[in-house]
Amino acid sequence: MEIRPGNPASPAEPFRRALSHRGELLEKAARACAGVIGTACTYTPFELVHACGFVPIRLWERPGVVEKAYGLVPGFVCPFMRRCLEEALAGGFRFLSGIVQAYTCDVSCGVVNVWKNNFPLQLCRSLALPYNDGARSRSFLRSELMGLVDDLVAIGGTFSEDSLRRSVDLYGRIRSTLASVLDRLGRTGALGAAETLTLVQAFFVTPPETYLDMLVRLEDELPCGAPPDESRVPVIVSGSVLEDGAVLDLVEESGMRVVFLDLCTGMRALVPAAGAGEDPLESVVDRIMNRTACPSRSLPGQRARDLVLQAESYGARGVIFLFQKFCTPHLADLPVVMAALKDAGVPCMLVEIDGNGIEGQVLTRLETFATIAGAA
Amino acid sequence: MRELASLVMEYYAECHRAKAEGRPVGWMPPMNGGIEVFYAMGLMPVFPENYSPVCAAFGAAPPHFETSEAMGFSRDLCGYMRNILGYVHGDMHGPLEPMGGLPEPDLIMSFGGGCIPAMKIFQHLERRFPHAKVFRADMPQVALDDIKEHHVAYAVSEMHRFIEFLERNTGRKLDEERLHEAVNLSDEACRLFDRIMSFRRNIPAPFGASEIGLMFVMVTRQGTRTAVDFLSRVLDEVACRAEARQGVVEEERLRLFWDNIPPWYDLGLLRYFEKAGGVVVAETYSSAWSIRLDTGDPIRALAVKSLMSYPLVSCVSIDRRRDMVLRACRDYAIDGAVFHSNKSCVPITLGQADIMKALERELGIPSVTIDGDHMDIRNFSLAQFQTRADAFMETLLERKGR
Repeated sequence: MEIRPGNPASPAEPFRRALSHRGELLEKAARACAGVIGTACTYTPFELVHACGFVPIRLWERPGVVEKAYGLVPGFVCPFMRRCLEEALAGGFRFLSGIVQAYTCDVSCGVVNVWKNNFPLQLCRSLALPYNDGARSRSFLRSELMGLVDDLVAIGGTFSEDSLRRSVDLYGRIRSTLASVLDRLGRTGALGAAETLTLVQAFFVTPPETYLDMLVRLEDELPCGAPPDESRVPVIVSGSVLEDGAVLDLVEESGMRVVFLDLCTGMRALVPAAGAGEDPLESVVDRIMNRTACPSRSLPGQRARDLVLQAESYGARGVIFLFQKFCTPHLADLPVVMAALKDAGVPCMLVEIDGNGIEGQVLTRLETFATIAGAA
Repeated sequence: MRELASLVMEYYAECHRAKAEGRPVGWMPPMNGGIEVFYAMGLMPVFPENYSPVCAAFGAAPPHFETSEAMGFSRDLCGYMRNILGYVHGDMHGPLEPMGGLPEPDLIMSFGGGCIPAMKIFQHLERRFPHAKVFRADMPQVALDDIKEHHVAYAVSEMHRFIEFLERNTGRKLDEERLHEAVNLSDEACRLFDRIMSFRRNIPAPFGASEIGLMFVMVTRQGTRTAVDFLSRVLDEVACRAEARQGVVEEERLRLFWDNIPPWYDLGLLRYFEKAGGVVVAETYSSAWSIRLDTGDPIRALAVKSLMSYPLVSCVSIDRRRDMVLRACRDYAIDGAVFHSNKSCVPITLGQADIMKALERELGIPSVTIDGDHMDIRNFSLAQFQTRADAFMETLLERKGR
């Protein structure tokens, strides 16, 4: 991900700076705690990793030309995962103690296993998640999570029910505050979409205690109640991982206003903020079970219903799907989701991201889409 | 092996007969323990994924792709998925559909432990056949070396839930004796299959990878007497060929390994190497269908099989796959390995680069990558394949000093 120069006066500036310096900050953080654990998917429960004394982070991609990673993975896999591998090959993740990857897509799981074979890490494991929700599934998930705790303790972590309770509270507070900030931004347009994305991206790579302080300050500084620019067409941006906010700038340049980020690096990672249950492990299980539907874990009909409801709630007049190229879970659901949106009178379009920047042709398509959605 | 074609036809004929007779027909993915339970209960299992290779072999896949792509399914999606979704949204019993098509499902089962496209196929099938009773199992996707008791316990509980579902929705009771018998037959089929494959260690190998269609019986008929009887006859035939030192080509000069699913639209491509005396004598994919079962505990055995099949050949357990390839290359005296970089199967393609390096580093065995797709011929270039294969064979022959 390329971190672009920001506006020093923007309330998002501290978040942009955190992103710019994440490598050095995390090297420092790794020395001050049990270590840093990476993941390519937020289904890995950050609070559980944190409760064991580690800083959990989401892996990021390397901007520019991919060279070395092509020697390890084929050209027809998710460009985000390929670029994460490129960043690792360039030494960008030297501070990592391990990777914990929930099995949510074939490529992330496979690339993590390729990673394991090419970089020495103390821990590299996957996490099996149930698709169904029921007493037996929850009991299984508890066992799976406790297995993860055992592995983290084996590489120097420490764990207690109290530490988990504290981590659950901390992450619950971060998620609920960030979700409320995103909701407010979506309804008022006080920040541009790319800057809004920066807030979420910083969450994934900043030690949570530091991040919460930043977030609380932001909440105080944000202008409240600013009316949205009604001349712009309100749209939802939906998809998988989005690293480069440049495409969001293009959406806005095309005359649209992003009211909701339905992304793995957006609202989907934040809702619900926490799970129910007195027992903290039970609340982690409950949160995983009740996550906002992600195509890798849910039925296409569920995704379609969620997006139609979000469009209604935010008054969106269009949905722009931004997918990483070759993203099977999202592509597989797309015909059903698009059909449901069209039935609801919400036009949609697909932009695939191949990691090589956005071409001018996309701007033309976005401008055309803005006209269609505005007239719908 | 000549019987294989009639065995394939008979399987599909039985699928249609079952439907006509009112015997419940269930659509399910392969690579799990559901098949033995189905046969033990007198139900008819149908494998939509397995029908895709049949469509590819009969040239019926391209129109199915057109249908699914017109519905909005991306060309970047797995070819099995695009084929079967195109098929079910077209004229399912049209004159061009191989084997008369598939009978519509009364039951739809997904097992959860496979790849994402396998899960998504069945989610879309549920929408296409809303009258079918649906069972979604939760088999964990976990690397072979990481399988723990809680994974097995959960898989066992899912098998029990599956059986309850079938009993409730078909009115048939599972007879434990019949299940025991099905598991015994399944294990015996695996034993015979392994034995048949092991004859390929002989030089010359009695049969090559173009006979991989043999797997059909391991996919569709596990747990039946049909499979055991067929494989017994194949074993006799292969043993005779080996005894007579009857090879695939007149002079077997090079022994090759094939990684990944073969191009179903033209298995003859696997014979291309034969013009230079090369024979594909082992492959990764066939091993996924032969997992020996603990016949003393049928339900647990089927649960373990369901946990193991997919990781065995996919990127879930790259380490184990690498070890398996290295072992096979040693055991089968392999001279070179052909890696099919398969756009329709990312889980098997991921990890190939590491396996290739390990082959060179640990055994000095060179490899070549062939770009292609096991279903979609549009992603395959014959000229490029031939150029790479020719250059590879030349290199191998030079190394062998012939």
